[in-house]
Amino acid sequence: MMRQFEDDPSLSELLDASQIKRLETSLAKLGARHAKLTATFSEGAVPVEFNLETVGWLNADCHPDTLAAMAELVGFILFFVAKYRLAANVHRTSTEAGYAELQKKHKALQESESRYKALSDQLQERVTEQVATIQKAQRELYESAKTRAIGQLAAGVAHEINNPIGFIKSNLKVASDYVNELEAKLPDDQETLELLADFRDLLDESIDGSRRIATIVADLKTFSSIDHADYTQCNINELLTASLHMLLTSHSDRELVIDKRFGDIPDIPGNPARLSEAFFNVLDNSAKAIGESGKIIIKTATDSNGNVAVVIQDNGCGIPATEQEQVFDPFFTSRPVGSGTGLGLTVAQDTLRAHKGLLRLDSREGRGTRVTMLLPRNS
Amino acid sequence: MAEYNPEQNKLNLKVVFYGPALSGKTTNLMQLHNQLSPERMGELMVLETKDDRTLFFDMLPIGLRSDHGLDLRLKLYTVPGQVKHDSTRKAVLSRADGILFIADSQPNQQDNNAIAFGNLEENLEKVGLDIETLPMAIQFNKRDMAGVVQEEELQMRWGHTPWAPLQMASAINGKGVVDSFRVLLERLYRVADKEHGLSLNHGIERADFVNRLSARRHDAAV
Repeated sequence: MMRQFEDDPSLSELLDASQIKRLETSLAKLGARHAKLTATFSEGAVPVEFNLETVGWLNADCHPDTLAAMAELVGFILFFVAKYRLAANVHRTSTEAGYAELQKKHKALQESESRYKALSDQLQERVTEQVATIQKAQRELYESAKTRAIGQLAAGVAHEINNPIGFIKSNLKVASDYVNELEAKLPDDQETLELLADFRDLLDESIDGSRRIATIVADLKTFSSIDHADYTQCNINELLTASLHMLLTSHSDRELVIDKRFGDIPDIPGNPARLSEAFFNVLDNSAKAIGESGKIIIKTATDSNGNVAVVIQDNGCGIPATEQEQVFDPFFTSRPVGSGTGLGLTVAQDTLRAHKGLLRLDSREGRGTRVTMLLPRNS
Repeated sequence: MAEYNPEQNKLNLKVVFYGPALSGKTTNLMQLHNQLSPERMGELMVLETKDDRTLFFDMLPIGLRSDHGLDLRLKLYTVPGQVKHDSTRKAVLSRADGILFIADSQPNQQDNNAIAFGNLEENLEKVGLDIETLPMAIQFNKRDMAGVVQEEELQMRWGHTPWAPLQMASAINGKGVVDSFRVLLERLYRVADKEHGLSLNHGIERADFVNRLSARRHDAAV
């Protein structure tokens, strides 16, 4: 093999042994007896040249002029052998260089392709991230606006109703005392007694009604948490009770069967307003899912570490398997437009996450839904 | 290449004729083969396709033997000018000791001259050679054609480069070919002498080198 295509070739690089033999035989037949073509000089040999280079020596048993002519002839043959060899070598050299360059380009292309792919993946990731951020911000904005509106409403209600209901309750109590005093002064006939008894019933019902109004106002205050804006120790059973009252009020047109199985659970840190809202959202879903014969079970329990579990279960219509992955998506709703925001479970899940807890949904279409909310003792 | 073999006291130098397609590189080499009668000259090897375009290269070996016994060989190569043969061009350019750049004088070929010169610069860098230090002469060929760019303009344009003055030639008529070659030999000698001590070690002076390698044939028709 030649080192470089243009390096001076040696005899053995131009002709192999059998070709030299064939050449020598032909030359011998032409009259150059014992013709020998060798790479090294021997006595009486004449040089065979290619490219100004002596590539071999020709010796034979013949007239020197014949030998010189034959050396010329062999040189002429070698010229064409070398010409082909040079062309083949330069072709090989340039093809290999071209191939190496192609491979280099190919590699560079592959690298740039994988860079673009990584970039595109990153971009997709960032888009997804941004979408999530925007959705979260949108939800938070919606929630804070809603919470503020409810808070303002509740504050207004508390302010406007608390005072009158206070003096109504107080006046009714005084009025009851007056009835007792009046009884002694009135004639003791049957008609008067019946009238008085009726009057007492009216007053008692009014006192009971005003007490209920006061309770609703108090629940509203708890729900909107005017009093506790931030994290505080929460009695989950109390929050559930308040949410339940809200639920009964908003579904007052029908009879809801509620099975309360509250356990003895410790207070845990949390945002009462947000937790109440989460409970209400889940309860509201259950109430809307059940028919006439439906029932909602609310259970609370604790484990040995003081973590709290809230289970709200119904035997309503359930959620189709195809929709179960979507129910936590913001603004997803299976109900008619206008009857729900599609944020109920989204908000509930966000709230649980914010409390380092979790919300799990188990549902079977036609059988019912169970929502389990786990709240850690230390959030 | 500049390969010195101390055992055989042999020095190989390589000159490459570079330039755009159809600028007359092979014609230059053929004219040198016809007109020169250096001390030693081998066979002209031409590797062209059937339409006379150079496929791989052409090659002409010439040489001299100094009084001190140095066997000096100069191999003259042409490269294929067509753009598509770039890897062949690079292979031939590799280890060059001198360049004779053959440009085309026709106005519509000036862009191709520039592209080929840029390609030369680029390929020299790729084969590890520096255009600033490599001996080079530039010939504007085809002066016989009508409407060629004026010599004054060309000389002015290239005046500030290390390759000024430019050589004008009409290779097809054999004019300016040997002169261009001699300019290159002068520049080549300076570098080869510095590297191999041509004068000091081998007793070859500049005029010797140029004259003995570019001696004209007495019967050369110019």
